[in-house]
Amino acid sequence: MADGFLKKDDLNRLRASVAAKGGRFVAPVTVARQTVFKETAPSDEVALGYILARNSYKEFLFPQTEAIAEFSIHRQGVELRGKDADARDTVIFGARPCEAASLASLRAVFTWGFIDESYTKREDKTVVITVACTSGDDACFCTTVGLSPESAAGSDVMFHETDADGWLVYAVTEKGRAFIEAHADAWSAAAPEDAVARTLFMPPVIAGVDIKKIGERLKKKDHYDEPLWAELTRKCIGCGACTYVCPTCHCFDITDEGAAFEGERRKNWDSCQYDSFTLHASGHNPRDAQWKRWRNRFMCKFNFYPEKFGSKGCVGCGRCVRVCPVRLDITEVMEEMSKRP
Amino acid sequence: MEEQLRNKAKELLETGCVKVVIGYGWNRTKTRTAPVFITRPEDADRLVWNPLCVNNLSVYLTRKFKDIQALGKPAIVAKGCDIRNIVVLITEAQVRREDVVIIGMTCGGVVYRQELWKGELKPEIMPTKCANCGVRNPRVADFVIGERSSFTPPEAPTGMVFDKIKAIDAMTPAERWNFWIGEFSRCIKCYACRQVCPLCYCERCITEKNMPQWIETSAHPRGNLSWNLTRAMHLVGRCTFCGECERACPVNIPLNLMNQKMIQVVDEAFAFKSGYDEKTHPPMIVFSPDDKEGFIK
Ligand code: SF4
Ligand code: SF4
Ligand code: SF4
Ligand code: SF4
Ligand code: SF4
Repeated sequence: MADGFLKKDDLNRLRASVAAKGGRFVAPVTVARQTVFKETAPSDEVALGYILARNSYKEFLFPQTEAIAEFSIHRQGVELRGKDADARDTVIFGARPCEAASLASLRAVFTWGFIDESYTKREDKTVVITVACTSGDDACFCTTVGLSPESAAGSDVMFHETDADGWLVYAVTEKGRAFIEAHADAWSAAAPEDAVARTLFMPPVIAGVDIKKIGERLKKKDHYDEPLWAELTRKCIGCGACTYVCPTCHCFDITDEGAAFEGERRKNWDSCQYDSFTLHASGHNPRDAQWKRWRNRFMCKFNFYPEKFGSKGCVGCGRCVRVCPVRLDITEVMEEMSKRP
Repeated sequence: MEEQLRNKAKELLETGCVKVVIGYGWNRTKTRTAPVFITRPEDADRLVWNPLCVNNLSVYLTRKFKDIQALGKPAIVAKGCDIRNIVVLITEAQVRREDVVIIGMTCGGVVYRQELWKGELKPEIMPTKCANCGVRNPRVADFVIGERSSFTPPEAPTGMVFDKIKAIDAMTPAERWNFWIGEFSRCIKCYACRQVCPLCYCERCITEKNMPQWIETSAHPRGNLSWNLTRAMHLVGRCTFCGECERACPVNIPLNLMNQKMIQVVDEAFAFKSGYDEKTHPPMIVFSPDDKEGFIK
C-alpha cells in the first residue's frame, strides 16, 4: 500500500512546502544541455524525463569546496577559527536507487575513526526522495552489483511513476515517514484507481561479471603487478572526471587560500586519478603510472569499501562510464577481473 | 580502409619497426570506440576506423605517459587534425619526428560526441572543425590510408563556434564577463580539459604548485576563473582547435569558443596557424623584429 500519491502538478506545492519550512530543495534541472542536481530556485523547472543526473547529489552533503576554518596571522601569533558546517534541512528529489545506496558508503568513510561532522550533520538533515527508474541506458549496471531499480537502501521516501500523471509515494525510513507527514498538504492521501506503478527498467546483468570472484582476487596481493592492469587501463588519461561524478568517491584535500595574513582553510575534492595525489615530498611517487592510479580506484570500489566497511564501493550508476573521455568502462575491467581466481 | 590499416599495423609490428600501435578499438558492445595499444601483430585486427574515432591520440605521445613510452617506439593512427598536434609537439621539442611513425587516415569527419551517433554522419552532429577542415588528406604522415578526399574548406569559416564568437564579440565587456563567469561557474575542477589536451604536457601543472598555491584549487568562481583563464593563456598560439578539451569537459563548458578566439587573435597578430609545419616555431616562443607591436598603446 502506498503511503500517498503526488500529482506531478503538485510537485511545486511540495517544493513550496519545503521552502516554507526553511529547507532547500535539490532536484534535477536542465543546465547547459545536461540534467544536473541543483538547489532549485522557485523559477527552476524540475526535469522529469532524465535517466540519471550528470552529477551525484553527494555534493550537497560533501561540498566540492568548503571553508572549514578561517585564520589570521598577527604579531601575537596565529588565530584559527573553526567554521561549522552550514547544515540545512535538505530534500534531494529525484535520486535513483543506485546512488541512494551510496550514502551508507559515504557515511562509513566519514565516521571511520573520526566523525566528520560536516558530513554527518548534513546527512542527518537530508531526506532522500528516490524515483524508481523507468528508463536507463547502456551504461547502467546496478543489477550487476546486486542492486536494482527497486532497491530502497539509502532512500527515505520512494516514488514510483504511474500512468496517472503522478507518483505513488512510499515511506522507507522513519525520517521519510516524518517528512511525508510534515508535508501532508502536498499530497493526496489516496492514489487514484488507475495509479498503477509503471514497469521498471531493469538493466541486463552483465553475465561475465562475478563480484565475489573480483573481491577474492583483489584480496590476494599478487594481482598487484599483473600486466592485465596496464593492458586494460593504460588509456586512462588521469582526469578526475570519473571520481567527481561518482557517488561513492570521497577523497578531499585541505588547502589554505587567501592573502598573506588572513585567509581560509578549505576542504576541496581531490582525486586518486591525479599524479600529485600520492606524490611524496621527496619526489617519490608510489603510484607512478596512470594504470596504478586506476588500479587504486578499482581497489577502492571492490576491495577497500567491501572489506573495511562492508559496504558497496560501486553502485553501478554508470556515471564514470558515461563521462570518461577515453571510454574506460569499469564493467569491462570487472569482466576481465572475474575471469581468473 | 580498416583492412589496410590493420595490415599496415601488423607489418610495422612484425618487422619490429615499432613496438606499439596506438589506435582505436571497439568497446565490449561495439557502440563506442576507445584508444587501444596494440603490441602483438595478431592483435592488429582489433583496430577500427570509423566516424566514432574522435579521440586525439597524440596525447599519448607526451611525456605524461612514461609507461607508454616504455613500450618502445610507437606508431600512431591519426587524422589530419590530430597530426597538427603532433606537429606542435615536434616544434616544441616534445617528440622527434623520427621517433614516431604516423599512420595518417584520410577523413570524412567525425562525430562531435560519440553518444550522438545514430548510424549516420550528418553535419549537425559534427564538430565545427570538420566543416572547415583543410587536412582531410593528412600531411606530415609516414603512410596515408584511404582514398584521397576532394573536400575543400569554405572560404569563410562556418559553423556554430564561429557564429557564437561573432555574437560574443558583439557583446559589451560587462555582458561578455557575465557570459564567461556563468559558463565557468559550472567548472568542477576535474582537469579533464588539461589531461585530454595533447599540448598540456607539463608534468607539474601550475595548479599543482602549492607553495604558494598559484591557482586556487577551490571550485568557487574565483578559483574557476583563474584556472580557465590560465589554461587558455598557456595554449595561445599552440592550440590547434582539435576540440578535445570541450569534448572531455563533463559540464559542457564551451571551451572551443576560447580556443578559436585565441587562434583568430594569433592569426591576426602573427599570421600564424599552429600545427601545419613542423619546422616553424610557434610565435610565443620566438622573438622576431617583425612582430607587430600594435598592442603597445
Ligand atoms: S564506480 Fe562508476 S558506476 Fe560505480 S558508483 Fe562510481 S560512478 Fe557509479
Ligand atoms: S577512467 Fe576515464 S574519467 Fe577516469 S580518470 Fe581515467 S580517463 Fe578520466
Ligand atoms: S577536422 Fe578534418 S581530419 Fe579532423 S576529424 Fe574533422 S574532417 Fe577529420
Ligand atoms: S582544442 Fe583543447 S585539447 Fe585541443 S589543442 Fe586546443 S586546448 Fe588542447
Ligand atoms: S574539463 Fe571542464 S569542468 Fe573539468 S576542469 Fe576543465 S573546464 Fe572545468
